[in-house]
Amino acid sequence: MNPDLILMAVLAGLANWGFRALPILLMRGEARPGGLMAGFLASTGPAAIATLFVASALPRLWPEQTDLVPLAMGVLITVLAFLPRRSVVVATLAGSLAYGIAFALMHPALAT
Amino acid sequence: MSEKTASFRGGLLAALPIVMGYFPIAFSFGVAATRAGLGQAEAVMLSLVIYAGASQFLALSLVAGGAPVLVAAFTLIAMNVRHVLYGPALMKEAGQDGSRRYAWAWAWGLTDEVFGQALGALARGQRFSEGYMFGLGLAAYISWVAGTAVGAFAGGGALDGWPAVSAGLDFMLSALFLALLLSILSRAALPAIVIAVVATVLGTVFWSGTVGILAGMICGALAGMAGGLLGGLFRGRG
Repeated sequence: MNPDLILMAVLAGLANWGFRALPILLMRGEARPGGLMAGFLASTGPAAIATLFVASALPRLWPEQTDLVPLAMGVLITVLAFLPRRSVVVATLAGSLAYGIAFALMHPALAT
Repeated sequence: MSEKTASFRGGLLAALPIVMGYFPIAFSFGVAATRAGLGQAEAVMLSLVIYAGASQFLALSLVAGGAPVLVAAFTLIAMNVRHVLYGPALMKEAGQDGSRRYAWAWAWGLTDEVFGQALGALARGQRFSEGYMFGLGLAAYISWVAGTAVGAFAGGGALDGWPAVSAGLDFMLSALFLALLLSILSRAALPAIVIAVVATVLGTVFWSGTVGILAGMICGALAGMAGGLLGGLFRGRG
């Protein structure tokens, strides 16, 4: 097993444990909202998730536009599936299924 | 709804939707890992040790791109900073029941989905219990690791004969991020989201994908912080 890969995983895993457990273990009373760091941390999540969505979808649009219809269907169905129950899991599965079906319809030769 | 303390078994049952969602995504990760040239044991090790979906997919890109190990580790760490907010938010919702004696163990499983499920249960009137958190987190973790193992052992060529299935699995990550984005969408988060999207596109188009990701996260977080400060100033004057 690649030692660099193990080191990367251990560092990332330790940080993940720290991010998830330490704020609970070190909590002393109620957190004070409104601070500079609190604002930065609160914005990190939305910024990171928005970035990752764009970064994962952008290669289908740029530099060459590939599979625009499956992408549009996948996005649309993900949003529509999310709305009724606000379930991340259901929306993810429905969006992926819609993308796969649209891909099969757009590329019948590949799908058979 | 009457208030009820949930058990370990209750947590296992409540995790069912997460288990169903995690398994195919983890399968997709296992396949992607072997496609990227990793061994089966290496793929499973990443899921066991990192246990953060988006980070793991990014790890594959970084490893394949030859990023230095510390740069790669820092990038993965930066991606999960948002998790620091989950524990305090959950404890606040738990109120007097918020026991944290074994938090050092169950908090390992506090992923986006587990946090969302636990918070939702508390919001619906269920009382907090560490046993429930163990059940919820353990089922999700096992599903993630098992899905990775099955995907890795199926191998990178497992889906060669199934291009539509492969395309759907490839899109699963985008769908997951979009669904997570929808789940946290709020007026307060809009500045961070808009600036992150613009910075990611500009960084990717004019420089590279890596620059786009870093630019999006940093500019978005700074924009959100600035937006919060400005909002606070205006409220203070008003």
